Amino acid sequence: MSATAPSRPRSRKATDWWRWSGRIYLVLLLLFTALPMFWMVLTSIKTQFAAMQYPPQWWPAEPTLENYTKLLDPRNSVGHEFLLYFWNSLKVSVLTTILGVFVAVPAAYAFSRFRFPGRTFLFFSVLLRNMFPAVVFLMPLFILMRWLGLVGSHGSLVLTYLTFGLPLSIWLLKGFFDNIPIQLEQAARIDGATRFQAFLLIVMPLSTPGIIATSIFSFIGAWNEYVYALTFLNNKDRLTLPVGIQRYFTEFATDWPGLMAATFLMSVPVVVLFLVLQKYFVKALTEGAVKH
Amino acid sequence: MARVVLENVVKTYGSVRAVNDVSFTVEDGEFVALVGPSGCGKTTTLNLIAGLIPISGGDIHIGDRLVNDLDPKDRDIAMVFQNYALYPNKTVFKNLAFPLQMRKMPKAEIAAKVNEAARVLDIERLLQRKPRELSGGQQQRVALGRALVRDPRAFLMDEPLSNLDAKLRVQMRTELKRFHQELGATVIYVTHDQLEAVTMADKMAVMSGGNLQQYDSPKRVFDHPVNMFVAGFVGSPAMSLIPLQLDNVAGTLSLKSEAGWSLPLSEANAAKARNTSSRNVVLGARHSTVRLHTQAQAGAIPGVTYTVEPTGDVTFVQIDLGGAIVIVSLDPNIEIRADQPVWLEFDQERIHLFDGETERALRAS
Ligand SMILES: Nc1ncnc2c1ncn2[C@@H]1O[C@H](COP(=O)(O)OP(=O)(O)O)[C@@H](O)[C@H]1O
Ligand SMILES: [Mg+2]
Repeated sequence: MSATAPSRPRSRKATDWWRWSGRIYLVLLLLFTALPMFWMVLTSIKTQFAAMQYPPQWWPAEPTLENYTKLLDPRNSVGHEFLLYFWNSLKVSVLTTILGVFVAVPAAYAFSRFRFPGRTFLFFSVLLRNMFPAVVFLMPLFILMRWLGLVGSHGSLVLTYLTFGLPLSIWLLKGFFDNIPIQLEQAARIDGATRFQAFLLIVMPLSTPGIIATSIFSFIGAWNEYVYALTFLNNKDRLTLPVGIQRYFTEFATDWPGLMAATFLMSVPVVVLFLVLQKYFVKALTEGAVKH
Repeated sequence: MARVVLENVVKTYGSVRAVNDVSFTVEDGEFVALVGPSGCGKTTTLNLIAGLIPISGGDIHIGDRLVNDLDPKDRDIAMVFQNYALYPNKTVFKNLAFPLQMRKMPKAEIAAKVNEAARVLDIERLLQRKPRELSGGQQQRVALGRALVRDPRAFLMDEPLSNLDAKLRVQMRTELKRFHQELGATVIYVTHDQLEAVTMADKMAVMSGGNLQQYDSPKRVFDHPVNMFVAGFVGSPAMSLIPLQLDNVAGTLSLKSEAGWSLPLSEANAAKARNTSSRNVVLGARHSTVRLHTQAQAGAIPGVTYTVEPTGDVTFVQIDLGGAIVIVSLDPNIEIRADQPVWLEFDQERIHLFDGETERALRAS
């Protein structure tokens, strides 16, 4: 960053101007996205009384972790419910994610590698689901689930979330497989691998970033989903977090600090997931499978 | 090592016949080049031998086994790909070890074999690197190494040198040839470069449009091309092909050009020409067999130089014989320029005659 040449200052000024406006823009964007979260965290460490004060108290005079200890203590009735919902959500989301990978990987591989009648039609019909708003399918799916006898079960949600997540997963993974030269598999098969071994030992490791990225997408989709969970689940003990939190904390009067603490805890798994896997995630979205 | 036999092999994609009734035998220890222009079915033929794509018709034998329905892994062959197909997430060592691991070889033995192959190929220093940290030439060696670590029945190579720069390509060509001689390996080598085929192979299979045109030693293919395609494909610069009319004046056969000149045929060539019912005959002449005179000469055919291309060793001159272009090579010290009148003399012993309709070479019966 040394500027010496006499003709440089002008252009340097221009780049500075660009750089600074870029930074300001990013800061604004950050404020826009982070402020509500910040407010959420601040509210979650207030007492119910402090949270309702007007004009609002930005920084709580007496910050408290009571809302969190209540939520995380299974002996407490609030905590009991919260942990149950958390467990339900985790179950539904993890199942959706794992099943999603098991369905999407072979499907994407087949679309990428095999030519079969109806391939193009099938591939685009996979996308059909995404061309309509999700609520359009609410009633048809409800009727279908009732017919299958699944209403009220977590299975109904897993199945539904799978259909929501799969199109993106299949498309993204197909792109990954397309990028892996077929000769790699051919080489492996000549080197003594079966077709399946070639896939497992050569193709899968190369598409790990893609599999992880699609897993994150399906997990988040399932973790945050509200409308279907609200419609399909009728038993209080089976509720997932988005519905459970909303029901519990607004049943009589809204307990804002409790609600915010619960919401904050709900965002923890997603944040952790992102932090742990972001390396793969970035790789998936920028590099593709094989760096050229 | 083993012999590889193809009998009436066919591969169709829908209505396209990518490989059409191809038969040839690669003897144990032979180096055979599969050569032809892009899209003629070379890779498809190789993939059929490897078992990477299902065969539509015919039989393939490797050794004494019919392999039509065998998986690639059970055919016991090794293959080198044009893009090398090194496993990008494995180190060089693991790339070389992979075929041995797949065959459940003990660890110590694998290490020994890999190190031996690395030593032979002079890539020992690279064993811990990933493929993307290697130059093109080094990747090529690793790909070769992965084929050499085990003793396959045959090596299949699909344009293994075509991604290297010209100098390295010539160097690797020599090395490959030496490997072949030392190992006594059966090699089927695909290339679109006829020079590679001619310089390396014991036999060459010239393909065009899915059909095998000629299967013979490079010398035989060069000296006795069976048709105009092979004649034009093998040799550089290509053989000049001049379409002419057969003319019979009182029992003496000659070839007449539309430009007005005519070439009386020698007894041997006349015998060949009598074997065709067609009046259209194509005269083929390689650049080194045509003599050029700068003065009028009895029996020589007049023409005008078109371009002059000095290469250092020889100078190639294109000559317009009234419609047909003939390439002649000259000593570089001979003074010649474009648009100069010249006279050409064909060596009757070394010209080729083709039937103008079937494009097949005319042979004395
Ligand atoms: N999977 C395929 N589907 C349809 N046509 C193919 C396929 N593979 C090869 N072909 C066709 O077969 C012909 C031969 O191809 P190829 O063997 O790759 O040629 P080469 O290796 O000699 O350049 C080409 O015309 C090609 O278009
Ligand atoms: Mg090819």
